[in-house]
Amino acid sequence: MSDGAVLDRHAPYETTLHRDETAIAGMWLFLASETLLFGGLFLVCLVYSQTRADGWAEGVRHTNLAIGAVNTLVLITSSAIYTMAVEAGRRGDNRRVMRFGLGAAVLGLAFLVLKGVEWGQEFSENLFPGPHFALHGPNARAAELFYSFYFLATFLHGMHMVVGIGLILWIGRKAHQGAFSAAWSTPVDVVGLYWSFVDLVWMLLFPLLYLIGRA
Amino acid sequence: MARIGICWGMLVLLLAAELAAARAGFGAAVCVAAILMVLVIVLGFMRILRGPPLAIIFALGGLFWLTILLALGSLDSFTRTVVPVAGAAAYGPVVRGGAAGQTKGG
Amino acid sequence: MSASYLWQDGTLRSWLLTRDHKRIALLYLGSITAFFALGGIGAALIRLQLLEPAGTILSDATYNRVFTMHGVVMVWLFLVPSIPVTLGNFLVPLMLGARDLAFPRLNLVSWYLFVASGLLVLYGLFRGGLETGWTFYTPLSSDYSEGRVLPVVLGIFLNGFSSIATGVNFIVSIHQLRAPGMTWYRLPLMLWALYATSIIFVLATPVLGITLLLLAFERLFRVGVFDPTLGGDPLLFQQMFWFYSHPAVYIMILPGMGVVSEIVSTFCRKPVFGYRFVAWSSVSIAAIGFIVWGHHMFVAGESLYSAIVFSMFSFFVSVPSAIKVFNWLGTMHGGSIRLDAPMLYALGFIGLFTVGGLTGLFLASLAADVHLTQTYFVVAHFHYIMVGGMVSAYFGGLHYWWPKITGRMYPEIWGRLAAALIFFGFNLTFFPQFILGFEGMPRRYATYPAQFQVLNVLSSAGAGILAVAYVMPLVYFTWSLFRGARAPDNPWGATGLEWRTSSPPPVENFAETPVVTTDAYDYGDMDARTGVADAGGRHHV
Repeated sequence: MSDGAVLDRHAPYETTLHRDETAIAGMWLFLASETLLFGGLFLVCLVYSQTRADGWAEGVRHTNLAIGAVNTLVLITSSAIYTMAVEAGRRGDNRRVMRFGLGAAVLGLAFLVLKGVEWGQEFSENLFPGPHFALHGPNARAAELFYSFYFLATFLHGMHMVVGIGLILWIGRKAHQGAFSAAWSTPVDVVGLYWSFVDLVWMLLFPLLYLIGRA
Repeated sequence: MARIGICWGMLVLLLAAELAAARAGFGAAVCVAAILMVLVIVLGFMRILRGPPLAIIFALGGLFWLTILLALGSLDSFTRTVVPVAGAAAYGPVVRGGAAGQTKGG
Repeated sequence: MSASYLWQDGTLRSWLLTRDHKRIALLYLGSITAFFALGGIGAALIRLQLLEPAGTILSDATYNRVFTMHGVVMVWLFLVPSIPVTLGNFLVPLMLGARDLAFPRLNLVSWYLFVASGLLVLYGLFRGGLETGWTFYTPLSSDYSEGRVLPVVLGIFLNGFSSIATGVNFIVSIHQLRAPGMTWYRLPLMLWALYATSIIFVLATPVLGITLLLLAFERLFRVGVFDPTLGGDPLLFQQMFWFYSHPAVYIMILPGMGVVSEIVSTFCRKPVFGYRFVAWSSVSIAAIGFIVWGHHMFVAGESLYSAIVFSMFSFFVSVPSAIKVFNWLGTMHGGSIRLDAPMLYALGFIGLFTVGGLTGLFLASLAADVHLTQTYFVVAHFHYIMVGGMVSAYFGGLHYWWPKITGRMYPEIWGRLAAALIFFGFNLTFFPQFILGFEGMPRRYATYPAQFQVLNVLSSAGAGILAVAYVMPLVYFTWSLFRGARAPDNPWGATGLEWRTSSPPPVENFAETPVVTTDAYDYGDMDARTGVADAGGRHHV
């Protein structure tokens, strides 16, 4: 297939390699932007966990470590499986892209379901901040701040998971139509970058929400 | 495939190490493990070194600006002089009963 | 060569679904002009109210909503997008010698995000409005405000993604789509400025996004994040807000500096003096601009150590700004200067930006700031930068590239008259405010002591002149679309690649990819090629 057939009239590229590298670079730049989005949350965490250390740690001790750890494992595995889809895409193996993609999406969904169960428990234990907050005593306000952080951070991460699952399903559909070849599988790569980034953010959120200050 | 398997194994081991360190109350080790996990993902799954050079530039740029945000953003809170006000703690428990309806109204 | 981008397919559908950067630039131009008019109405109401000490037309509560509307609309719906999304969108590919931006579809998405965010903000502003000022400080915005904080804040959140999309597009395009021979040091300075602006778009905007999300979360669920009565730290909100909003001030000036570099060089027929210094000063303004934000909180209870650090960095950022001003003057020195309308705007920019920049140093000094902060001195200072600087540059750029964008010349005499009127009206509006602020008149109040009336009346009179002067270009630009003289490809005899294609450009920008063999602004070489005598007699060596 000649370049002219691959590149549409609007695309400002000379070669397919040029176009693919640009797409990858663009995704990395977007991820740098995303880093700063989560960076704001990390700043809140850094400041409050140091200046209100006791109450913050009390909040950490009330999170559900079992679900958190299992979810971390689920996400690691999902990211690894999607990376296999990326490898399959490079070989132009559409069938494997679809299968691995579905596997990664199902694990992503599992993460969200577990997260939902965890949220449900926390709501029933009145750990959502507000007038009926469960914890009392001198550290209650700081623990409440922790839970504000906890819910917003997991919500934002969950939204990124939803978007990621959507993107993976889109890749799966394209693969089902046989869209990828050894010469062109850039969308699989780009979505892989995003999915691994969502994984990466959780690798930082997990210790902040569940581990540091626990013992 | 072997590469992905090795990376996955490393991540699982690091997760185990993280949990053990957290149980021992060894916060610094938890942080180190978390950073190593991020590195495994960036190098092993996202394969930043195989991408275009721009990828590395953008990633380092993002990291650098994140450092600015965290360092200068927390500077104020960590160096602030808290002047106690009579009858109130600098921050502290407030009674949130009937009065809450007024302060949180509107 | 195929048809011009304007007329190739005239259906509404082809405009709304276009991926052509030039058409998207015009879609943006239409939208931000509407928002500029709206923000201007807000400004007019403020100045009318302040004609009399007791206030004449608005209640105190309405006044608060009006100045908030003015600030929110002008900052996010006009100034931040202004030059990048209109002139930038139009020019980046043309100046690079490319067919389009790196991600044409993303570019269109950014416009739809912008429109959606604008509508959401307008919904909030007109279904109740809000009284927080454009800075949304907590706990006023989270606890006490009775206004429509949520739709406005979520609108600004969406608006941020539009900015990020534009920034990603520009940075990646400038890295990847330069024409053969277009090295980094041959880029027009406009592109260096837009590159620096895009760094801020990409790396600062997400922090505003998360800050506003935290604020919305706090308000919506009545939970503690920044609220001191719930254990939070209200200053942390300000730290995070200004991590975006101070660099955003440079979003609102850097593209203007790029435009001025282009105009000054063209109308002096000389290369920009100290090209590399001007180029790198853009990048260093963007970089240093990220570490000065704490100077907004000197009197808010910020720690002294923090304040000293931020004050010092604020002084540093004036160095690259001064480099630019001196290099523009160096460019003009000995040049053969033509005072066409774009050059008049550029000269206005240089003067007004200098005043705005120097008064910024007063505010960056810890001791002086205690006296001046929250007064009209601050209002005058940032209007000199944003209106005197950025809006002048925006109009200058519009005049300069109007022939390229539309294929028509604007009426020169009217252009010069409007430029002069804007300069005069602007100074009459805002210079008295320096004095008012110095004498202690606080900002954001609907009334004031009678002793300040003379200066306030002068200021309001200036605002009237300014309003007329801003309407003039709208009228004669529209007129020129139908009656203006046909523009040649290169009406100013400028060097950039955008002048090497037809006016207006064809859909694919260039019949064949241009090859760059000379530095930007190489007027000596250009005149040798075209046989034009250099009136200044100075050839670039």
